[in-house]
Amino acid sequence: MNRRSRRLGVLASALTLSVAVTGCGRDDGDGDGGGGGGGAAPGVTEEACPDAVDDNKGCIYLGTITDLTGVFKGVGEPFTAGQKAFWDQVNADGGVGDYEVNVSEYVKDSGYDPEKHAELFNEIKDDILAVTQSLGTAHTNAILEDATNESILLGPASLGSNWIFDDISIEVGSSYCTEAMNIVDYAADEGGKSVAVVHFPGDYGDDAMVGARIAAEERGLEFTDITTGTVDGGDDQSAAVAAVLKAKPDYVVIATSPKEVAAVVGGTAQQGYQGRFIGSIPSWNAAILASPAGPAIEAMYLQASSFPTWDADVPGMEKMREAAGDTAPNDWFSIGFSSGYVMKAILEKAIDDDKLDREGMVDVANSLTGIDSEGTLPEGTANWAGDPNEDAVRVTQLNKVDQAASSKVSVAVDPFTGPTAEGYEFTEPCYLMK
Amino acid sequence: MTQFLGAVAGGVGLGSVYALLALGFVIIYKSMRVISFAQPAFMLAGAVLVSYLSPSIGFVPAVVVGAIAIAGVALVVERVAIRPMVGKAVFVIAIITIGIDIVVRVVAGAFIGRDPRQVGDPWGIDAWEIGGVYIAHRHIAAFLVTTVLVLALFAFFRWTPIGLAMRASALDQEAAMAQGVSVGAVFAVSWALAGGLAAVAGVFAASGRTMDQNLWHIALAALPVIILGGLDSLGGAVIGGLLIGVAQQVVASYHRQWFPGLDTNIGSITPYLVMLVVLLVRPYGLFGTREVERV
Repeated sequence: MNRRSRRLGVLASALTLSVAVTGCGRDDGDGDGGGGGGGAAPGVTEEACPDAVDDNKGCIYLGTITDLTGVFKGVGEPFTAGQKAFWDQVNADGGVGDYEVNVSEYVKDSGYDPEKHAELFNEIKDDILAVTQSLGTAHTNAILEDATNESILLGPASLGSNWIFDDISIEVGSSYCTEAMNIVDYAADEGGKSVAVVHFPGDYGDDAMVGARIAAEERGLEFTDITTGTVDGGDDQSAAVAAVLKAKPDYVVIATSPKEVAAVVGGTAQQGYQGRFIGSIPSWNAAILASPAGPAIEAMYLQASSFPTWDADVPGMEKMREAAGDTAPNDWFSIGFSSGYVMKAILEKAIDDDKLDREGMVDVANSLTGIDSEGTLPEGTANWAGDPNEDAVRVTQLNKVDQAASSKVSVAVDPFTGPTAEGYEFTEPCYLMK
Repeated sequence: MTQFLGAVAGGVGLGSVYALLALGFVIIYKSMRVISFAQPAFMLAGAVLVSYLSPSIGFVPAVVVGAIAIAGVALVVERVAIRPMVGKAVFVIAIITIGIDIVVRVVAGAFIGRDPRQVGDPWGIDAWEIGGVYIAHRHIAAFLVTTVLVLALFAFFRWTPIGLAMRASALDQEAAMAQGVSVGAVFAVSWALAGGLAAVAGVFAASGRTMDQNLWHIALAALPVIILGGLDSLGGAVIGGLLIGVAQQVVASYHRQWFPGLDTNIGSITPYLVMLVVLLVRPYGLFGTREVERV
């Protein structure tokens, strides 16, 4: 045997030994190893989590690919903090089965770049059991095929109407499409005769636009489609403002970021427009009330959402506020926290059913018909056992600006499902029908 | 017609911001023959600083203090990072300014935090309606302040010793040095002026709206402005800024009529399309010095 062959032989022996050793873990391999430590299920280790409350517990690693520095860092940062707060609380209360859950070891910043998102997924996928947060529709779509092939459950921080068609997606809340249907149904019920949609191009804005168009056709409202760019990209919204003023709709659905809301609501109000704006959930940030357009926003804007406001009087939100501590909570912190209930339910059932591995997690998720989120998630969430139309959450509530409320919004219209959304049969993602 | 005039009014406001930024580019170019890519960062830093100062000392004092402070930062940057590189290839110095831009932008951006900020301007979204045309107060303010600053700048170059030294240095650096002009002081003052102008531009770019770390994108349009106006022409920077601002707003306003099939409003890329055309047909710009080469 030459030196090269001898070295290879030693290496092979060492690998064999290490495989044998890791194969002899606790519970004879049901759910141990992984997470960079090697074993049956990636992302599940016998060793305690790096910041463990109880060193005798194993660790389940969940990945996060979010935006901490890009255009939606205002969503990604609090969402991630909310998820960490949820699991810190769960871990402090004894964890899940024989494990604690770590959501901070594999947090990656995509800067809201789909390509980087995919790269980061490849970087962490061998070390995690599931992805607890994948921010952005196009971004999550970029990893969907790989994740599906490897049965890695994904928690999209996105409300595209496409997620109901995917088995590995554990989406929460109504889609932008459904939300817009409900907004237009509300507008029609209030006597509105015309509606315009100011929206970004792409899966978010187009999803809302198509939902609004479907409902406008259904209810006989005049419809105007106004695509707009981002303020950051150099579009100061003057074109969108001019288009709204020209169409003079009774209601405007707005599916942009909060900065465009401030510019469009402020710009149209400045020129005498007196209609009503109702925004998709990502269009709101209480900070825009401090902008020059603040008074106009207060007078003319409603936020559509399927989630309770973060200062709602429900047990889960009570826990969320407690967990937030000195961190000022907001909508995204709250939804990040609430989404933890879904993953926790899946993990608990997977452990109970002896299925704590990737395939097992996907099986368990697709057997659920609902979970107890202590009032933090909308009715119908986590009903993944049926077909896509049974999966789809269809409720929306409308929030008005309320300076007296901690969250700066309070419920104006209780959760409802309009006739269009109620009867609509989803056959493909709405944004593909633009 | 009201739509067109409204777009022109908005364009003049935006163009004033571009003009202030472009003046900074041109001043540095004339003194050092280098395009400084650090202007966007100084613009962001100025707006961020004013957003912190204005609640406590008031908007106008905050703008003055902010502009002076950013001028100081630019001065320090020039002394520490640029001056030692004098004599090196122009390309190398330009690359260093890109590095400076990134560093200053990241530091300034870190002070913005999670939520967007406001500079605390008094104009907000208020506007006057004249014959059906809405003219935003902030656009008028931007134009007036730019006019005053441009006049002050021209007076500075015409009548102050350092201004004369800067003009002499721009014409012929070696001859100016032989006459006792401190070229180092010229470099320093040009950077300070560019920094201060960028800070004021940042304030107007952020007025009437919210701002975050991405405010600096607006400054990129100053590059087409200096190409249009001419790299070494102060007057060209002002006129180029106004022309580009108006062209951008008019295209943005008419986009839906002219290009109904296009999703993305091409108003925001109009400055770059103009730049391409200028580079093809008149590469030294409207007022720039035509380069003479012996062949």
